[in-house]
Amino acid sequence: MPEVFKAENVKGESEEIKKLLRESFSRSSFGSCVPRPHRFRFESQQDDETVLVLGRRHLVTNLGWIAMLCFASVIPFVWGEFPFLQALDGNTLISFSMLWYMGLIFFGIQSFLMWFYNVYIITNERLVDVDFVGLLSKTVNVAQISRIEDVNYTQKGILASFFNYGDVIIQTASEQRTPDTAGEMSAFTFEAVAFPDKVAGIISQLTEEAEKPWK
Amino acid sequence: MEIIPGITISLSMIVSFMVKISMVLFLILSLIMVRQESLMDRVVNLPIGKSLKILTWGYFLFSLFVTVIVLLS
Repeated sequence: MPEVFKAENVKGESEEIKKLLRESFSRSSFGSCVPRPHRFRFESQQDDETVLVLGRRHLVTNLGWIAMLCFASVIPFVWGEFPFLQALDGNTLISFSMLWYMGLIFFGIQSFLMWFYNVYIITNERLVDVDFVGLLSKTVNVAQISRIEDVNYTQKGILASFFNYGDVIIQTASEQRTPDTAGEMSAFTFEAVAFPDKVAGIISQLTEEAEKPWK
Repeated sequence: MEIIPGITISLSMIVSFMVKISMVLFLILSLIMVRQESLMDRVVNLPIGKSLKILTWGYFLFSLFVTVIVLLS
């Protein structure tokens, strides 16, 4: 049967997007801002949807809990200094130390998982913000590129300026509040993302292209 | 401290009991973490997800092993 009409891939990447993605992003799986991630899919991804950027909080934001973990892991070596623990017998003290380290490992794995899986995804069609809070709660925000109204970013503090990370705030046409957005400027606040200027640039470029009727 | 005649409750006994309870609690939490990791991996499917699954299962087995030893001791 002859082909009467074949739709063009109007959502293809433009030269500007390709140029923005070529710039100095991290390519590692643990990177804070990975362009075109390899072998990556997300739950509601459509077949014709291409992931342009996968991002998460900057690696430096983990320093707090890592430092706390390091400090807490040496505390059992000074158990003897605590009068309450001096009164315990040997076996109980060993059990208590085991519990302490079990708790620390649990806290470490949990903090890592929360950092690793709390991601934002920029595709050629929409933005997806995946937020896991604790062990039993998740929030997934999705916005079509065409519904984005405003994109801006902020960088606050010495660490943010030094390591080049900040918050990207995206205002969409429907500003509905979701449970995770308490205290955030928008439902789509990508917190502590690496290269906020480039991320904001990519989103702005995508919005601009979505507004054009034909390329 | 002798509350029940013939049975002396010491500080070590109380702490030991609380440690055992906490270990069982951590065991349950680690099982929840295994489940949560697999749900996270379903939402955001990354190539490294399999290794993280092994890590969480490893932690669960480790805590099971430690809990059994402490409970039996």
